[in-house]
Amino acid sequence: MKPAEVLIIGGGPAGLCAAISAAELGCKVLLADRNKKLGGQLVKQTHMFFGSEKQYASVRGIDIAGILLSKVENNENVEILSDTTILGIYEDGVVTADQSGNYFKIRPDAIIVATGASEKTLAFPYNDLPGVYGAGAVQTLMNEYGVKPGNRVVMLGAGNIGLIVSYQLMQAGVEVAAIVDASPKIGGYLVHASKIRRMGVPIYTGHTVKEAHGTETLKGVTIWQLDDKWNPIEGTEKRFDVDVMCISVGLTPLSELLWQAGCEMKYVNELGGFVPVRNEDLETSVKGIFVAGDVSGVEEASSAMVEGFLAGLSAANYLGYTIYNINEKKNDLHQQLNALRSGPVGEKIRKGISELIFSSEAAVSKEI
Amino acid sequence: MRIQEHPILIFERGSKITFTYNDMLLEGYEGETIAAALHAAGVRVLSHSHEKHRPRGFFCAIGNCSSCLMEVDGEPNVRICVEMVKDGMAVRTQEGKGDIL
Repeated sequence: MKPAEVLIIGGGPAGLCAAISAAELGCKVLLADRNKKLGGQLVKQTHMFFGSEKQYASVRGIDIAGILLSKVENNENVEILSDTTILGIYEDGVVTADQSGNYFKIRPDAIIVATGASEKTLAFPYNDLPGVYGAGAVQTLMNEYGVKPGNRVVMLGAGNIGLIVSYQLMQAGVEVAAIVDASPKIGGYLVHASKIRRMGVPIYTGHTVKEAHGTETLKGVTIWQLDDKWNPIEGTEKRFDVDVMCISVGLTPLSELLWQAGCEMKYVNELGGFVPVRNEDLETSVKGIFVAGDVSGVEEASSAMVEGFLAGLSAANYLGYTIYNINEKKNDLHQQLNALRSGPVGEKIRKGISELIFSSEAAVSKEI
Repeated sequence: MRIQEHPILIFERGSKITFTYNDMLLEGYEGETIAAALHAAGVRVLSHSHEKHRPRGFFCAIGNCSSCLMEVDGEPNVRICVEMVKDGMAVRTQEGKGDIL
């Protein structure tokens, strides 16, 4: 049985930042990630981030991954377990793991679950054809491995991911035939949408997929218009001959471990599905289990990083570690989260999170 | 279908290797997944569904959805989207649910 002070599950933006801040307080951190390379989905984000300087605004996601990794890789308080899948969290606090085929157990004093989220799909006839891919999958293929997903694409979803991946497809030399979104308005930032429109790609809002075409692989997509009650209008069909359709209709938290650990979960549509109830310091209803990033509600990588820093401080403090300005640090992180969630775009997130927070005595940490 | 020029990224591919897909010899690069190597070679159908025999490709490409399971060096149900391709590897379309014992 491997002992650990804090076990962090997931080495994406949230997990890496959690490791950095817990280690800074002197806490010994075990950081487990199922991939060979840490960084989560930052490693395929070629665009520059928004937010403020503290969340590395104007730096490309791929470069942020490098910055965060360099802070954990040579950190004497952090032990990295790559290629390690955490299999379960049990009643007695034992965690089971598989590292490249070797099964072993870990006994951590605290856990930060930062497992992220997975892409949702959408129901329409023949949505299972090869060529119908998640937008993130296409990003992995082209930005990580330099392989074109196909020649011509229809993007389903005009949120930020749909818009950004459309732009990245064009950078990779792939034609984007259209972006389609059932909502009457473009969901993503206008700055992304304008960039796409200037490149001549039509954005069909108020439209959805009628069906996909093809027998062995995708050959085309037919879309149709929706009326103001979201019912399709006959006769408005448009067909696009494409070999790829990207689905970008949101993500859902990868919360299996939280369920197994007995954390109280709540369905919050705005946050992508079932998410853990937690206090302001990101501790769940199970003592000593903390959350950060998309698993605690789907947002952006910027807020995942801030949540990671916060969860790292909270978990270390739970184990008795502290620093003279811990409350100042926490307040600053809370303010950063508020800023990232401000404005009309953050309204959905603010509403979702307000349904989840329970206040606790631990909200003010002990200082030295 | 490999990207040769990109405005932001430089692809530092590993050394060239060969592997087989249903006994057909294909090329790939060290450090890429089996899914990436197959896709670059034009292979998009990875298996067929158990009951209706519908073609299956990958969906998420990061090991979440299990849409890309294949038989690799005799081992069934390998998520080829997160398994790295290796020189001499034998990748096969899997029929049925796979027998692991």
